[in-house]
Amino acid sequence: MAAELKVAKTLGRVTVHALTTGMFSRRPVAAQLQDALSTLDIELIWDAPVISGDVVVVHNPSCLRFDTKLPGKIIARHLIAVEHENFLQPTGQEAYDVRACHDLLLHGSLALRRSLAPISDWNRRSIDGWSNTFGQLDGWDKLGLDWFNICDLPLTPPTDVPGDRRGRHSRPGFDKFPPPETMAHCFPEHADHNLILGADALIAADEAPQHWTLVPFRGMAVEDYLRQIDFMVYYTAPTFRESFGRVLAEGIAAGKLVISDAETASTFGGAVIAADPREVNQVIARYVADPASYQRAVRTAQAVLAAFSPEAFQDQIGPYLTGQAALDDAA
Amino acid sequence: MILLCAGKTSERDFDALLLFARTLADQGHQVAIDESSVGFELRKHHKYEAAPFLCAQGEADVTRVIVLSSDGVSEDAQLLLRSLQLDPAVPVHVIGRFPTHQDGLTAMNRVAFASGSPPELVNLSETQPNPLLDTAICPMLTELAAEPTQTEAGPAATLLYLNQETLEADPNILPALGALSHHADIALHILTNAQGKDLIRRSTYSTLSVFAYAELPPATLAGMVDILAVFGSNVPGERVAQLAVNMMGAGKVVIDCTDNSAFEATGAPVIRGHPEPASFENYLISAILPNRIEIGRRAQLSDWMKGHGFSDLAMRLRLETPKDTPKLSKAQTLFFPTNGNGLGHAQRCALVAEALPKGAAPGAFAAFPSCVDMLQSRGFPTLPMAQRTAQHSGEYANDLLNYLRLRQTLRSGDQLVFDGGYVFDSVYRAISELNLSATWIRRGLWQATQVHPTALERERVFDRVIVPQEAFPELNRSYSGGEKLHPVGPIVNAGKLDSKAKTDIRAGLASTFKRESSKLVVTMLGGGMASDRASQLQMLSALMETREDTLHLIVAWPNAVINSGLYAWKNTEVVSTKYAARLAQAADLVISAAGYNSFHEMLYAQVPTIFVPQHAPYLDDQEARARAAADRDVATLVLDHELLLLEREVAAHLDGDKAGTIRAALTKLALPDPGNTDAARIIAEGNLS
Repeated sequence: MAAELKVAKTLGRVTVHALTTGMFSRRPVAAQLQDALSTLDIELIWDAPVISGDVVVVHNPSCLRFDTKLPGKIIARHLIAVEHENFLQPTGQEAYDVRACHDLLLHGSLALRRSLAPISDWNRRSIDGWSNTFGQLDGWDKLGLDWFNICDLPLTPPTDVPGDRRGRHSRPGFDKFPPPETMAHCFPEHADHNLILGADALIAADEAPQHWTLVPFRGMAVEDYLRQIDFMVYYTAPTFRESFGRVLAEGIAAGKLVISDAETASTFGGAVIAADPREVNQVIARYVADPASYQRAVRTAQAVLAAFSPEAFQDQIGPYLTGQAALDDAA
Repeated sequence: MILLCAGKTSERDFDALLLFARTLADQGHQVAIDESSVGFELRKHHKYEAAPFLCAQGEADVTRVIVLSSDGVSEDAQLLLRSLQLDPAVPVHVIGRFPTHQDGLTAMNRVAFASGSPPELVNLSETQPNPLLDTAICPMLTELAAEPTQTEAGPAATLLYLNQETLEADPNILPALGALSHHADIALHILTNAQGKDLIRRSTYSTLSVFAYAELPPATLAGMVDILAVFGSNVPGERVAQLAVNMMGAGKVVIDCTDNSAFEATGAPVIRGHPEPASFENYLISAILPNRIEIGRRAQLSDWMKGHGFSDLAMRLRLETPKDTPKLSKAQTLFFPTNGNGLGHAQRCALVAEALPKGAAPGAFAAFPSCVDMLQSRGFPTLPMAQRTAQHSGEYANDLLNYLRLRQTLRSGDQLVFDGGYVFDSVYRAISELNLSATWIRRGLWQATQVHPTALERERVFDRVIVPQEAFPELNRSYSGGEKLHPVGPIVNAGKLDSKAKTDIRAGLASTFKRESSKLVVTMLGGGMASDRASQLQMLSALMETREDTLHLIVAWPNAVINSGLYAWKNTEVVSTKYAARLAQAADLVISAAGYNSFHEMLYAQVPTIFVPQHAPYLDDQEARARAAADRDVATLVLDHELLLLEREVAAHLDGDKAGTIRAALTKLALPDPGNTDAARIIAEGNLS
């Protein structure tokens, strides 16, 4: 959002509102967002009785899951809900009470148009899957493009001498970790280094073998962690999938080769190597044996990140922020 | 095996887990609770209720997982689910009360992320929209019987829930309950909290039958009573709510006497009663008793109960009805004698088991290690039980193990015959939970401090109480009454050796110990757990050392610990034997403790005996028993500190004619007929019933 605000500010007058919700009560504003607001000289307005604009963008409507009403009214020509959470889990289970959250927005707003904005291909598929199962969301259409995360990250060149140094980092939730068997495949004894950041659950479960280095969430700086690995191996619980997978983009930008499951990898258009967990060792061995190939793969992946740049965002999403796209769509 | 998980690690969640585990187990399902679900200090009742279900972490063969998560799904629960590494084919269910769709999804997702399997949800808010307790974690389910299962003959077993506050609110309540307990058509029991039980025990109504709140599981209590009435300001908790559901499902009567009609307000098929306990009797007698079967029938048929029927959940979970365990062709009778180092209770039970009539279920035993050899040598299959030792963690750890062994060995309809003073929790619970036919062999002559309502309250789970009488009538005291009490003659091995057998024994002793002696003295003072008899034994051995014509045997039970100092005496031999009574019959003088068995064996065998009673808080009144014999001049009494008197009495018997005088008096003594056969007959009839 911080990156997005910088783009939006170039396109028109921007106000930023924050809602107190049951899900994120008493949570401080993220430091990156606070910095961006300061830099852009934008005041954060809390729980305004009326939020109005030509275009109102609601980021992550799933945060309303524990609420029964909006704190205020929304008035807009175009109300856009950016769906940072999938509607369905990969198992087909509903991820949250989608209808209730969107109905809150529907009934709490006066708008000419309301649109759902998927953020990735997988996220879009989960919205479609949900609609197929539970029916359309009344009063909402769906944008035809992905409202992607801006990945404006400094690019670090890949190492010349990749070793079998593996790692993963995430929040510590159980959704972020695959079953023990998959973890064992991904972080084997023969690897030179297995570094897992955000491993609170594994530490609590006393699940880890000796050859894993476990660090709790925020137990070390992400930069330090990234310096210790050459391969990021990232799988989640089979019952969960990232809606975007920003953590993978961070790994690519840091000059690492990133491996994940096919669906999670699909967001990044070939920049992430899709592999079954049982194939991970083979993939890593191949790149360790061929450093040139490793460097090529990382650089290619970093080039793909350009598709998630602020410029790309301005090109593709900008017309929706200005309202032009809505007019075009209507025409 | 169904693995049950609590959404949170708390006493309340664990309690709900136990209630639901029992519901599933009663329907024949194999249930496990992972030990990691226990994250707090368990109370005693939790330990007994959990023992049949607890399994070591990761050791259950899990075919299904059920998470009770009305209170949410904690990280501890997620850790457990993750550790299971479930096969994707294993179904996972989340059961709870979820007021909103989102609440259900939150619970499902947390379970899904940790288990790796998408769970199915059972939302009790939909299946049981009007629960007895909104905050209940347990699903409150029961089997809906086809017909009311109340006892139709005899008094109606009536359970009244009143907590301490209710009991204290009106001074007329306890007198009213006391009066009601004497009504011929009512078998009254009180269910209350710990303070309430203490209050009643300290009152003049201390003999009321009182259950503490968690003393027995609700399903067990429901099986024991026909009518439940609940007083107080609300539904008292999940256990009483589950009890009420169990009873209504069984076609029994639940009377809502709460101040705010807490049960009735939910639509549950209860009968409204007046909230004043003191005015309950008339209502119960005139309105409820004549109609109780029909009231129960109507309760079973109510729509409210449909959501509380186990079959409804079984259908939602696609739970297959377990195949019936093949029934044994004949009910078994298991004797469980309590014993420390001695064998008294086991010997008595063996005599009764040997007297069981032809065609009766053959007797088997569950017994402590000290008795196993003796019982097996007499031909009884014997299940070893765990004796309490200092090595156990906690004072009833051994009893928990014994409880499991009894549960594994016994089936509903079997008979458990317990012989002992204090009814262990293992026995109390096994009888009530397995619906066993139960007999308590309870010899009398308790010490005054042992006679109190707490010691006797567990009599209520026994169908029969056999009281072996003492030889002398003044020693027989009645601690309880009623039809289940069966006094029988002394249970004693009354077989007398003829003179040839005695001669053979003495010849055998001469051969074994390679010495001739004209006199045989047998000392069997007991010892070990009860009291230290070292000084008496050493003194007797010293006395015998000057008597070249005397062989002195110190007889101990096998496995008893013998003081090594006793082996130094040349006229004294230490004999570990199961045949003490036979040796004693061959003796010129016996010096014995005055336990029930030894005492009566010596009297019936007419052996001159100096009784040295043992004293311990948990023993019977041996001194009274010995004194009754001494007062009749058929034995001699010496207290354990009267060492000089003991010396004089030994001399009087061996050097004077006291032994002859006593032997002559014993031949004239009229003793009651032994009660072995009567006791065996009563037990056999218990099996038939």
